[in-house]
Amino acid sequence: MTTGSVDLLVVDDGEALRGYDCRDVVRVEEVVGEAGGYLVRLGRLGSPRDVACREVLGSVALSAREIRPVPEVLRERVTGEAPWAVGLTEREIYLLY
Amino acid sequence: MRTGAVNTNFEVFDMVSTSGISPLDEAREELLREASIEAQASGREKAQEESGPARSLLVFFLGAEGFAVDLAHVRKVLRPARIARVSGASPEVLGLMNCEGEVLCVLDLRRVLSPGKETAPPAATEGKFVVVLRHGGKEAGFLVDTVRDATEHPASSVHPVLDSIVPSRARLFEGTVACGGQFVGLLSPSACLNP
Repeated sequence: MTTGSVDLLVVDDGEALRGYDCRDVVRVEEVVGEAGGYLVRLGRLGSPRDVACREVLGSVALSAREIRPVPEVLRERVTGEAPWAVGLTEREIYLLY
Repeated sequence: MRTGAVNTNFEVFDMVSTSGISPLDEAREELLREASIEAQASGREKAQEESGPARSLLVFFLGAEGFAVDLAHVRKVLRPARIARVSGASPEVLGLMNCEGEVLCVLDLRRVLSPGKETAPPAATEGKFVVVLRHGGKEAGFLVDTVRDATEHPASSVHPVLDSIVPSRARLFEGTVACGGQFVGLLSPSACLNP
């Protein structure tokens, strides 16, 4: 039986639903101006970085059973930052960064 | 009686069957039927000896263009469910799909075959099929328009890839197969799964 879980801050980057470990989130800022959107500041646990997104959707808790490795075929075809895992629930697919 | 000897027993010609066909004709027809069956079986055996074991191929289409893949590498064929896009992925990646509780990466076979045509919008998935291929520990779904059927072909019916195909595309094929009056490209699962 697995008991591990992770709380994710879920954001919409315009193409996909991304999930960031809530414990790593420093703060979320609204971007003013024409482009709009939000800036998620990360780095409480790891190295500091900012992530721009279109919308912040809230948080979701995923159990270890709902977390899958990234398919190798996808990992080989992603440029830039690749997700470390995929969250799979009955309703959604989250890319975990 | 020696085989091939003339039958001198004329009594047999006096016999008439109820169907109006003489027993001799019936015997001949029976003999011809048996000979035909034997010849067919012998021909099949000979063909198999000459061409090696048959290959089972799944045939599918992108528009009017036919393709085939060895059934040994086909894990399943399914209708596409909701596909989650992945930002930063190559243009041939349609996204991720929940495939019976597993994460399946779905590729657009059109874009795998024609990587230059990347300005076209992502393929619509309605009414199409996802052919899931597995090879060398890798697995992915390939979006295709229609799936025809699985057919057996002698190994000798696989011809080399046409010279006219550009090398970047030719590497994706194992050969060409005549299938239902049409030549279809036999895809290499390994090449299709590896960028």
